[in-house]
Amino acid sequence: MPATSSRLRRPRRAVVGIIAALSTAALLSACSQGASSAGGGSGDSYTPAAKNTSANLTYAVWDQTQVAAIDANLKGFNAEYPNIKVTVSVIPWGDYWTKLQTEASSNSMPDLFWMNGPNFQLYASNGKIAPITGEVKAGAIDPKNYSSSLDDLYNYKGVQYGVPKDFDTIGMWVNKALFQEAGVALPSANWTWADFQSDALQISQKLKSKGIYGITAGMDGQTTYYPTIFQAGGYVISPDGKKSGYDTPETEAGLQFWTDLIKNGSSPNMKQLTETAGDQWFVSGKSAMFQGGSWARTEIGSSPIAKDVQVYPLPTGKVAANVIHGVSNVVAAGSKNLAAARALQVYLASRTAQQQQGDMGAVIPAFTGTQTAFANSMPGVNLQVFLDEVQIAKPFPVSKNTAAWNTLETNLLPDAFDGTKSVSAVGSDLATQMNAALAKEQ
Amino acid sequence: MTAIRSGAKATHRKYDGAWPWLFVLPLLIGVVGFYVWPIIQTAYYSFTTWGVFGGSTWTGGANYAALFADPQLYRSLLNTVIYTAIVLLGVPLSVWLASLLNTPGLRFVQFYRLLFFLPYVAMPVAISLVWRMIFNGDFGLLNWVLKLVGIHGPYWLTTEWFALIAVSIVGLWSSLGFSMILLGAGLKNIPPDLYEAAELDGASRPRQFFSITVPLLTPSIFFVLIITIISSFQLFDLLYAMLGAHNAVMPKTMSLVFYFYQSGFINNDKGFASAVAIFIFALIGVITLVQFRLQRRWVHND
Amino acid sequence: MTDVSAAARTRRGSRGRRPSHALIHVVLGIGGFLMAVPFLWQIIMSLSTNAEVQSVTPVFWPQHLEWGNFTQVFAQMPFLSQLRTSVIITVIRTFAQIVLCTMAGYAFARMRFPFKGVLLGVVLSILLVPSQAYLISQYQIVQGLGWLNTLLGLVAPGLFSAFGTFLMRTAFINMPRELEEAARIDGANPIQIFWRVMLPLARPSISALAITTVLFSWNELLWPLVVANDPANMPLAAGLATIAGDVTVNYPVLMAASLLAMAPVLIAFIVMQRRVIDGLASSGLK
Repeated sequence: MPATSSRLRRPRRAVVGIIAALSTAALLSACSQGASSAGGGSGDSYTPAAKNTSANLTYAVWDQTQVAAIDANLKGFNAEYPNIKVTVSVIPWGDYWTKLQTEASSNSMPDLFWMNGPNFQLYASNGKIAPITGEVKAGAIDPKNYSSSLDDLYNYKGVQYGVPKDFDTIGMWVNKALFQEAGVALPSANWTWADFQSDALQISQKLKSKGIYGITAGMDGQTTYYPTIFQAGGYVISPDGKKSGYDTPETEAGLQFWTDLIKNGSSPNMKQLTETAGDQWFVSGKSAMFQGGSWARTEIGSSPIAKDVQVYPLPTGKVAANVIHGVSNVVAAGSKNLAAARALQVYLASRTAQQQQGDMGAVIPAFTGTQTAFANSMPGVNLQVFLDEVQIAKPFPVSKNTAAWNTLETNLLPDAFDGTKSVSAVGSDLATQMNAALAKEQ
Repeated sequence: MTAIRSGAKATHRKYDGAWPWLFVLPLLIGVVGFYVWPIIQTAYYSFTTWGVFGGSTWTGGANYAALFADPQLYRSLLNTVIYTAIVLLGVPLSVWLASLLNTPGLRFVQFYRLLFFLPYVAMPVAISLVWRMIFNGDFGLLNWVLKLVGIHGPYWLTTEWFALIAVSIVGLWSSLGFSMILLGAGLKNIPPDLYEAAELDGASRPRQFFSITVPLLTPSIFFVLIITIISSFQLFDLLYAMLGAHNAVMPKTMSLVFYFYQSGFINNDKGFASAVAIFIFALIGVITLVQFRLQRRWVHND
Repeated sequence: MTDVSAAARTRRGSRGRRPSHALIHVVLGIGGFLMAVPFLWQIIMSLSTNAEVQSVTPVFWPQHLEWGNFTQVFAQMPFLSQLRTSVIITVIRTFAQIVLCTMAGYAFARMRFPFKGVLLGVVLSILLVPSQAYLISQYQIVQGLGWLNTLLGLVAPGLFSAFGTFLMRTAFINMPRELEEAARIDGANPIQIFWRVMLPLARPSISALAITTVLFSWNELLWPLVVANDPANMPLAAGLATIAGDVTVNYPVLMAASLLAMAPVLIAFIVMQRRVIDGLASSGLK
């Protein structure tokens, strides 16, 4: 086998190489014909692309439900740049990053694409995406128009690579009818951990015979334990990205918050919550509260309990805190249509484009002052909470290889959530392993 | 063409000359170009630390040392073996079902065949959702049925071992149709006059099944066996779709290929993942080789 | 065709005296029902609202039949152009695999050439590696050939099948040698023997190969997603996978989409088994 293969390998490779060279040459010549002004080049300088720039761009996204709003944006963009043709490539979430990694390894990434927090530093540190330093300097994009926590998410070593296109925060979805049924008074807007814990426990006890719980303590970073870790004054990863916070007492208190709810029966247990997710318990009227993201509004709004729902701010622990995450549009550093891609990136960051995104109900747009459509989309539910929480929200915790320690969280935390080990034992174990993973990143 | 023919004459005694190459080369070129070459690359990368986006540094056997020191490897191996064993139960079952479907004069055959074919056509993402609802511990169909007969069912998808069994059941379910198609083709090759002769001799149905169908079907059975083992070792999609990535029982249920995928595509450790891939390759390679050795004892070849 | 079905009929007739098939029907009926249950439920879900699907207590029959879930699938994606892509890809691959795998399978089964065992091992070995391990290398090969975003790139690796080769080798290895010998004595060259004598005998296995190739090609997800960018050039399965959404999954639409993706294959299967599989019943060895 080795003999045959190696004999075949060399000529084949040569052929591939030649063809690759030929096709690259063809592409390059096609490009130089297309992009008339090479404006918007690399580095710090940014000159807006000429209006007659012609190019074919690929814009990769993962959410089919936003395509209508994107198409509307592109119409506006093409009014400015009639000769830039944009193909929107929708890749399902499950395959998006696999595809992007493959393309990044082969230097054939889409010109413009969606980036999220956990993956950002990986692509930025490997030089796969282009900074927006030039755009910011030239005033084409002003980071001040967006939440600073979100800007920070897309800043790597002091360099900005994108601004958010949308955001999500977390709120407490409350089923008022179940509160009433249990005879528990509705929460106040400035409630505390203690208030919340007592409400959850009371409801679970009173409605136990009906299989109804006060809360669902699902094990999910963004919606459950990250916010409470911050509220307890703890951290998941140190600001310099080198140290895990899981062995600090504050962070452990944030975890303990949830494990206690499971232990005293305020919430279904881990197994129940894995087989039937928290949102399902809530929309089926089997849970009085659900700590969930702003994105849950579509599902909750079309459920039978929609009319009983109200959103409350998260209860305050040692401090009031929330978690914010948002998606950003980033340009591939190796894009052959850099100028055109930047023009589109700038356009999509504009107030006009984001206002349109918000008005079409796709997302909460990130540009400050464009979110009224979102707040009004469910009258009487007080979606405004999700916007107000931005003030106290911390950026979603990430590092260069976020996924590596996310896997550790998923693998180790269950022992704490199902009560087989103490939170501090799991916390220190997780911290040790996470620190090792972080050390590997350097 | 002339060259080929003269070549054929020259080596006529031992080999069939150039003709066989005409038959196999088109396939071999594609196989080597698109598959063997990537395997060689993977083998090379397994000795390196590979940057997420390429660029590798030679680290010798470090990945393998880390791999064999990782208890997760052995657990994944055990899970894969158990899964494979359960799915293999489908082989005798499908031999039996396929031969029933081949009963001469049986009505509704096409309808039955369609039913057994259904799972094989299913889109894993959609159908695994249905299965998740069937296996759901609190509200699932299965536990509801079990309750009727007085059994308190477990949380199938979140309890160690039960999760693996649940996934294996679905794996078995979806593999039946595939095996039956392959075995059905083999059954078509059994001359019907053999059965007619046996019938004249007064042989009973079960006797015909064991003395004609099974022996003459052994080449197809061998084939299905090999393919079932190989594909069971590739368990990934189903596991992922049924349990979800954030399932606490996943480390105790994951398969070798899931372990590979998690190292390479989630945790971005491609060099280590390559070592896992090569381990899987070597392991099934040996198993398959052994099967080929053993087949001479039981497979009926002309 | 006619004489084959006539033969089948006589065969059926001659065995019609057998005891009833009631027991067989019971076994196959129960088995078939167990096979179909998840699909029946899937059909029900495709006609429900998302709230009904998400409800913790299973809803076995929706209040209103939501046919809108199906129209939503058509509204959200270029269904027809993706269907066309799927058909083209599938036809090309099936044809190529039948040609390449029967030829190679025949050579591996019946011809003598150096390194035969080793080469068969090499071909089979490609089944042993997790398919994702090929992804980046294959992508770069296709990129090097300049086939990204082209039909060639979509079909290329799937033209070559170790499984098909092995399947056809199994089929040929068990065929009686007499016919082949007879043809050789008549002066037929290997191509003529293969084409006129052996291929017709292998038709049941070829149709099995065709079915498996069609399904593999039809349901393939990752590869087309990775090599194609324009949704209009993607096959159906890949397009439908985007329907699911990311954070909020619309389950009924997902179910409807998956049923729509299955439908053409099921129809093809029904037609195939009427025309091909049953038509071919035992046509080979007469």
